[in-house]
Amino acid sequence: MKTAPEVLLVDDNPADIDLMNEVLAKSKRHFHVNAVGDGAEAMSFLRRQGKHAEAPSPDLVVLDLNLPRKDGREVLSDLKTDPALAKIPVVIFTSSEASSDISRCYELGANCYLRKPGNLPDFMAVVQSMADFWLGFANLPQKEKR
Amino acid sequence: MPMGCVLCVSACPTLVADSTNARGGPSERPDKIGGKLRALIVEDEPADVELMLRALRQAGFEASADVAQTAEEFTDLLRRNPYHVILADYKLPTWNGMESVEVLRREGLDVPVIVVSGALGELTAVECIKQGASDYVPKDHLVCLPEKVRRAMQDKRLRGEHKQTLGELARSNQDLEQFAYVASHDLQEPLRMVATYTQLLAERYRDKLDDNADKYIHYAVDGALRMQTLVQDLLAFSRVGRQGAGLQSTDCNVVVETAVKNLQTTVVESGARVTNDPLPVVVANGSQLLQVFQNLIANAIKFRGSDPLAIRISASKQGKEWVFSVADNGIGIAPEQAESIFAIFKRLHTSAEYPGSGIGLSICKKIIERQGGRIWVESETGQGSTFKFTLPATTPPGELRSRP
Repeated sequence: MKTAPEVLLVDDNPADIDLMNEVLAKSKRHFHVNAVGDGAEAMSFLRRQGKHAEAPSPDLVVLDLNLPRKDGREVLSDLKTDPALAKIPVVIFTSSEASSDISRCYELGANCYLRKPGNLPDFMAVVQSMADFWLGFANLPQKEKR
Repeated sequence: MPMGCVLCVSACPTLVADSTNARGGPSERPDKIGGKLRALIVEDEPADVELMLRALRQAGFEASADVAQTAEEFTDLLRRNPYHVILADYKLPTWNGMESVEVLRREGLDVPVIVVSGALGELTAVECIKQGASDYVPKDHLVCLPEKVRRAMQDKRLRGEHKQTLGELARSNQDLEQFAYVASHDLQEPLRMVATYTQLLAERYRDKLDDNADKYIHYAVDGALRMQTLVQDLLAFSRVGRQGAGLQSTDCNVVVETAVKNLQTTVVESGARVTNDPLPVVVANGSQLLQVFQNLIANAIKFRGSDPLAIRISASKQGKEWVFSVADNGIGIAPEQAESIFAIFKRLHTSAEYPGSGIGLSICKKIIERQGGRIWVESETGQGSTFKFTLPATTPPGELRSRP
């Protein structure tokens, strides 16, 4: 039986995590949402270290850029250069619209760059379409047994 | 060790005093007659050198000098010692004293050059000054030399002060710009929280609280969304100053054509007829100039009257600049408002009458002024408006200012 996909949200702003959960909870699609608040914790989640030893292996990472402890750009770089993690799709979801950030992220291997819209209807629409695309239409790589 | 005063970079009085003291030089300002004066004299006739020094000493200068006869000696001395002034003979056996101006420029030094020469003729004297000499003194009128040296020194000091003031002004402008950018940039995040969560409240609790609650939430949402527009506009405004000048040859016909194309939907909806005379090629930042034309045309459409809207764009050359004109037959502007409309966030109408935050014209003004031009409006209420702006003809503003 196919298991529900696992999503990892990495964002230091609880308000944004809540907002994403609001939208994702209403989605007709079936998936699990996990959330961490900084880049270092994101890496231990992905590598099942410390308190995340039992963490599921994510099918999709939604990553903010400006994070405490370990910046989102570093998380992206570490993830995409780690053979065990590199194939996990990473969606950058940030308020930065700097073209330097956009280029850098794609260079580092980001699969998609989305800007957090400033008003609710747009925010909901973006999160909803992201879920539809990445957890619905897109074919994701088979997870390796760990 | 020469008793020199600095001859480079800044002529600010404190800096002069500091660096001269560091070199054991005079602390008085050299443009006061009676101070110590170190001259570099370009001259092959020792007797003439003596005469010049004597003239200066008689007027109260404690004058001393090094003498250079060739370009190599001149450059070498200039690199090793500071000088207040250069006194250059026009015609030497091996080189022309005027070439010293060229050497100074190459070395990046600001030392006044006074041409001291035998009969030179008015035309040649004028030519020397055009090439950058500060002044000219005939050898048989050496009595004028001290006053001319004093004046040249004073001019140099004023030049330095002027440059310093301009530099401070530019820095403070830059700080302000940086502040506007950082403030508006950093305001975006918390503002996004307020906007989205008041919207979520409005959506989730509509009709569940009382009527007043719905109204209050609506006010909060509306305020947050309006503030977002203001912050974004402020960012757009400060971005103009953060971009490089990017001046290049720009065909205004193409720019206007693109502006109209970008505004296609509103142009068609409003039934506006946009026409333009043949427009010149100017040296400008093309994408910013596009923004100016686009803002002006969009404004003409927004503030149209009841008559079918006609917008006419033209340009005429007046002296060293092009005067562009964007004329419409819209609602016009009262003359007493003609200046204030260019201020940031200035609006003459409520957003119910005409939407917008009042940023467009202030961006136009900033763009045009950065490219060395001016912008204004000629209008009467009900008589249409003609927005005019100037751009330097063919020469970029930087080059226009390169000669003092």
